[in-house]
Amino acid sequence: MNNPMPNSQMVNPTTNSQIREYYPFIGPFDPCPPIRVKTYVVPPNQFVTFQPMNLPQFSPAEALRLGTLWPAFYSNYTSKRRGEVMKEGGHEE
Amino acid sequence: MSEMLDAEYYRRLEELQQLDFVLVELTLYLDTHPNDMQAIQQFNQTAQSRKQLAYNFEMDYGPLLQYGHSYSRYPWQWSQAPWPWQV
Repeated sequence: MNNPMPNSQMVNPTTNSQIREYYPFIGPFDPCPPIRVKTYVVPPNQFVTFQPMNLPQFSPAEALRLGTLWPAFYSNYTSKRRGEVMKEGGHEE
Repeated sequence: MSEMLDAEYYRRLEELQQLDFVLVELTLYLDTHPNDMQAIQQFNQTAQSRKQLAYNFEMDYGPLLQYGHSYSRYPWQWSQAPWPWQV
């Protein structure tokens, strides 16, 4: 990429999802059942070297719930244990 | 204040919390964008709304802060629960 500033959508360049996977080494003596696929989150701010001015904003109520004032930087949290997603305007369910 | 806390109390406290969060975000943003005039205007407007909201809240429900950052009626209100962090 010659332009360090992503487009206005700021979509993750490799995949639309913020979740990526990796495959850890599985040793034969692991006392627990192996987790073959592990995941990690790459939030959108990782692709923004310098925040552009005048980005669209959430309302104050949405911002407080979602943890950011700018939709471009929103990264949701899903609990793997219970599959919960923080929903807009509400607590986790 | 020993009166019951109504839904209005929580609604207005949450509104205050929302504006506080916007101010936190704008503060961090302006640290790196000191020349964004529009953001500074938004910051100042939000700060003013927050001040107004806090003032009205304190008039109705008592002080939010101690040590001279809020006013008190007679008798002294700060010693009366609930404190902001208890609700």
